Amino acid sequence: MIDSPSLRWILPVAIAFVAAGTTPSSAQVPPRFYWKSLVGGHAVPVIVTSMSGNANPVDPAHTVLPEASFEATVALAGYAHTFALFDRAAMAAVLVPMGRISGEASVSGRTFGEDASGYGDPLFEIDINLIGPDPIRNIPDLLRYEPGFSLDILADIAFPIGEYNNEEPLNLGQNRWYGRIGAPIVWQLGPWVPGRRTTLEFIPSLWLYGDNDDFVGHTLATEPMFQLDSHFTRDLVEDLWASLDVTWVSGGKASLDGVEGEPLKNIALGFTLGYQINDNLQLTMGYMATVNDSEPTDLRMDGFRVSLVFGWHPLVEGMKRLEK
Amino acid sequence: MLVLAFAATLSADERPNIVIILADDMGYSDMGSFGSEIQTPNLDALAEEGVRFTQFYTHASCSPTRSMLLSGTDTHVNGLGNMDEWTAPNQMGVPGYEGYLNDAVVTLPQILKQAGYHTYMTGKWHMGKAPDKIPRARGFERDFSLLDGGGNYWDMKNVTALSPRLVFTEDGYYLSELPKDYYATRTYTDKMIEFIEADRDDGKPFFAYVAHQAPHDPYHLPRAWRRRHVGEYDQGWDAVRRARLQRQIELGIVAKGTELAERMWFVPDPTQLAPASLALLGMKMELYAGMMENFDYHVGRLIDYLKSIGEYENTIFIAFGDNGAEGADLFEMIAGTPGTLNALSAAINWSQTHPKAWGDPGSFVSYGPMWAQVSMTPFSQYKGWLAEGGIRNALIVSGPTIQRDSGSIHQAVMHVADIMPTLLEIAGAEYPETHEGHRVPPLLGKSWVTMLAGETDSVRTDDDYLAWEIFGNRALRQGKWKLRWQWKPYGSGSWELFDLASDPGERRDLAGQRPERVAALLELWDDYVSTNNVILPSRSPFESLEDDMPQRFGQDPGYPPLIYKRQFVPPPDMVKEPKK
Repeated sequence: MIDSPSLRWILPVAIAFVAAGTTPSSAQVPPRFYWKSLVGGHAVPVIVTSMSGNANPVDPAHTVLPEASFEATVALAGYAHTFALFDRAAMAAVLVPMGRISGEASVSGRTFGEDASGYGDPLFEIDINLIGPDPIRNIPDLLRYEPGFSLDILADIAFPIGEYNNEEPLNLGQNRWYGRIGAPIVWQLGPWVPGRRTTLEFIPSLWLYGDNDDFVGHTLATEPMFQLDSHFTRDLVEDLWASLDVTWVSGGKASLDGVEGEPLKNIALGFTLGYQINDNLQLTMGYMATVNDSEPTDLRMDGFRVSLVFGWHPLVEGMKRLEK
Repeated sequence: MLVLAFAATLSADERPNIVIILADDMGYSDMGSFGSEIQTPNLDALAEEGVRFTQFYTHASCSPTRSMLLSGTDTHVNGLGNMDEWTAPNQMGVPGYEGYLNDAVVTLPQILKQAGYHTYMTGKWHMGKAPDKIPRARGFERDFSLLDGGGNYWDMKNVTALSPRLVFTEDGYYLSELPKDYYATRTYTDKMIEFIEADRDDGKPFFAYVAHQAPHDPYHLPRAWRRRHVGEYDQGWDAVRRARLQRQIELGIVAKGTELAERMWFVPDPTQLAPASLALLGMKMELYAGMMENFDYHVGRLIDYLKSIGEYENTIFIAFGDNGAEGADLFEMIAGTPGTLNALSAAINWSQTHPKAWGDPGSFVSYGPMWAQVSMTPFSQYKGWLAEGGIRNALIVSGPTIQRDSGSIHQAVMHVADIMPTLLEIAGAEYPETHEGHRVPPLLGKSWVTMLAGETDSVRTDDDYLAWEIFGNRALRQGKWKLRWQWKPYGSGSWELFDLASDPGERRDLAGQRPERVAALLELWDDYVSTNNVILPSRSPFESLEDDMPQRFGQDPGYPPLIYKRQFVPPPDMVKEPKK
């Protein structure tokens, strides 16, 4: 007499948080990243990006190197975990960038043609919900979850232990501390029915950077940078969703030995498609490119991103074993 | 007699208006005034101003009840000897089994109309679709009616593939489309208010038959009404039933010491279910509760309107449900077989199965036997069956003819077929001997007028009996005794006897102990059969249940201990670490 057809909805929903994605780069998270799910869940993301532009793609400061041209294939792998903290939904994650970057750059009149490869700076993130539903502690909570208007606070910090060559401007490690604070917002528009979910999402954040005092013999300093990621997401069918993405960055003026560059004031537009392959696995693909980027000092960057996220929860896995 | 005299002295324009509020599949205990936790303040206000009746009987399914309400005659006479959807081969073509309200009878609105009443109907008809069978043809001046037996609240999409569109009429014409912003419960109310408003200055009283679909499945409900009971039903059906019974005892709806009917043998013990299962099933009941509250809200709108035009005080309200709560899964019955046309139609039109979509267009939620039993607290079984849970309903009557104490509760045995003679008497109208050139069958019921006036406690004598037959199930009640035959495994496949005074939950079959009583009641049954041309169906929707359902066992709390025994906890002072 138990309505087993209804139970089948539990599994994909429980996995949703991990499938929603993890950080695709150290500077930007994908849409639906801050949706909440069952406390006690785990996820392992693998995110591959192919990017080009005039700033180091793994540098969250987006420090523009005029006349530079970079190509990068970078992967991020990590782990995320959901839990309750002070009776609020929370998530902690760690992501480690790795990959290869190649290109040319000019710094203080010197032109560098180079390649870099290896591991970047691991980034740790903690996110706590302030306004919104209570933590999803069990499946009944999960069944009733709707974000409504949800506001979180997040903190990221990257540890400067990635590979770094002080003779080259292009590195996977940044040789300085950096991080950000932000306030992710998820605003549910309309019903919360798989196949019809629509959200407007904003992630305003402020990036803060320490100095790199050994940047090809110079000191690189960067002022704080404000970043606003916006997503309009919509389910196309139950397992497929799309998002229009806009990122606006402002500030982050870099200086080299006290010689100041120009602050950033850029917009990037993109889109993302997400597909739930099965209860555990979600695929996302996206593209994003800066616009109005014709000046040499403008940030110019574009890239494709493919992510594969495997998520699991002990309770859900147990239910699946019993179903088998 | 006082009321008769009162009615006789009224001039035409002083006669009371009549409003019948008929809920579809509402359970006995679903209104607050009958013990529910569901908030029904408007219906409860009617109960507080009027009177409640605790032993009111309808039929076990909708169109038979409606046929008796509007014709005052037995179903086997008026055309609904079986539901149109289940007419058996041996009943085909037999008068009394047409599947619609036949021409042998004259209807309540036809007589009231002739007596000078305006006659309005909104909501579900379910007694014929042909032009000469629709509400306009059967006495209603104005109507906005769903002719089908139920379905969509949002649009015209039907569930069955071969009848893909619901059929509606408005003022005698079939509708090609529904009004904008249609939602059944709201629109039926709007239309009724519109009808009354259009004629209100002409001084004639009106008869308003508001036959709501609510709370019949599918539980289609505006989103704003869906989150009023979040988590409330995760406690499971047994706890809610116990709480309702306790309130019923406190209110005086049932006697102290009343025992709940046993949980249906195939319904799980909720204490053994995982929280997720309870939550999923509880969410269906949350939706049902919202359906009831939305229904009550719109009843309140009609009441408020009547107050605003000064007609409330001169209006009789009769509110009840048409049969027991629905415990079957209608959607599964229709569309549950893969590869069928109905399954294909459901995939296209009715596949919003996610819990978050419950209530939306395209969803089809019904709450199942466990919650149907809650709705029918304290009784056994539900719609379609002739246990008390299938046929006993809550009844509220209020208005100017009531001379009894406001808010009082009465235990007289009453029947839906009583309503027609009651209203005819109140309206000063006569039931004719002939209609359109043919004799009409005699009225089955008895007028309540003297009882409402407080002159008698019951309109029935000890010798009177009530009887029912539908789908082959049979029952007869005389005084406190009830004789019942039901298909296995809901029944025993033989006649059972219950003492409803001491056992309203029908837990103890006394047929073996009281064979003389069984014999006496069987004589009455034979009288009922011959008087009303009862033909037992050669086929029944229940004919294979014994093979299809789990074997029936009694409910013994705590059995088996294997799953009920809790963790053994040793005395703390005897607990030690293992020796190394």
